[in-house]
Amino acid sequence: MKRVFLWLSAIFFILLGCVHQAEMNKQDKFLSASPRSILIIPVVNSSVDVTAANYMLSTLSVPLAERGYYVFPINAVKRVLEDDGLSDSSLVHAAPPTRLANLFGADAILYVAIEQWDAKYAVITTTTTVALHYVIKDGKTDDTLWENRVRMVYQPSSGGGGGLGDLVAKVVIAAIEKASPNYMPLARQANINAFTQYPGTGIPSGPYAKEQGN
Amino acid sequence: MKPATKFLFVFLFPVVLMGCGAQSRYLWSGYDTKMYGYYKNPVEREDFIQGLKEIIDESEPAGKVPPGIYAEYGFALFEEGNHQQAVLYYEKEAKQWPESRTFMNKLIAMAQNRAKTQKENKRPVGMTETHASGNAVKPLTGETTK
Repeated sequence: MKRVFLWLSAIFFILLGCVHQAEMNKQDKFLSASPRSILIIPVVNSSVDVTAANYMLSTLSVPLAERGYYVFPINAVKRVLEDDGLSDSSLVHAAPPTRLANLFGADAILYVAIEQWDAKYAVITTTTTVALHYVIKDGKTDDTLWENRVRMVYQPSSGGGGGLGDLVAKVVIAAIEKASPNYMPLARQANINAFTQYPGTGIPSGPYAKEQGN
Repeated sequence: MKPATKFLFVFLFPVVLMGCGAQSRYLWSGYDTKMYGYYKNPVEREDFIQGLKEIIDESEPAGKVPPGIYAEYGFALFEEGNHQQAVLYYEKEAKQWPESRTFMNKLIAMAQNRAKTQKENKRPVGMTETHASGNAVKPLTGETTK
């Protein structure tokens, strides 16, 4: 009986990991537009953490490219936008998508807004709560092709098996986190949650994923 | 747990998980960390440029250069005033990724213009004159414009 339970729970978690929600895909607009390239523009940050925007911007290329899309060089794009008078990310987000798309020859544009990014410091651990809004718009029609919201509560794991030594290690880690928190794993995980759950809330795989196998 | 069950758990789990987690299409060599490091510390520009070069050096032999990397490196060279080399990398990007052609053509025109005016003026162009983000950085040659 115990073994059956073990197996069932194992299978359940495996399926959860692979299939996510088996809901029918709502990405019809995205599929019919079938963009090949996605322009990643600077992130709008309405949270109190000033570093959050840079964490998000730095981590967006990898998951989208791995999903099979061409992604434009984020820093070159940022600099060209600045030269074009769009030095503030909120100005970029307010510009017509078609104008941005024409400037770079992009099929679609990714807009990311950080709505919340709060760190709560305690002696043992630091808990960070984030809320992110992702939107992909069509570069030809200005239509919204896809959108997703990600909420996450993040606690950096310290490992270790317990005991006083572990407690000391945890306190040390919490102190380091407070001094200069590393949000890289958080930002990466948020993007994975946003993009990869497909069918479901994520985005369909792109042209380079389909062409794989050389 | 019976040995057979144990075997299944130990060997099947990684296989199943491998099926879930797609293997990496490209060799990123810590691209996101490098990018963040640069935004956090724009003064460490040379590290950033070197970091981009490393990504190309590591991924090129495997044929796994990530999209955008040639262009990013080319743009960094452009900002350093190395216009000819910049164009070379823009061309590489456009050849590898046709989706980038429009943008690369613009960047190539930009670099050629800059190179032309530079030649006409026959004076070294200071970083401050052309690029706001390069303000904190001394020109690599140590030259200063008067």
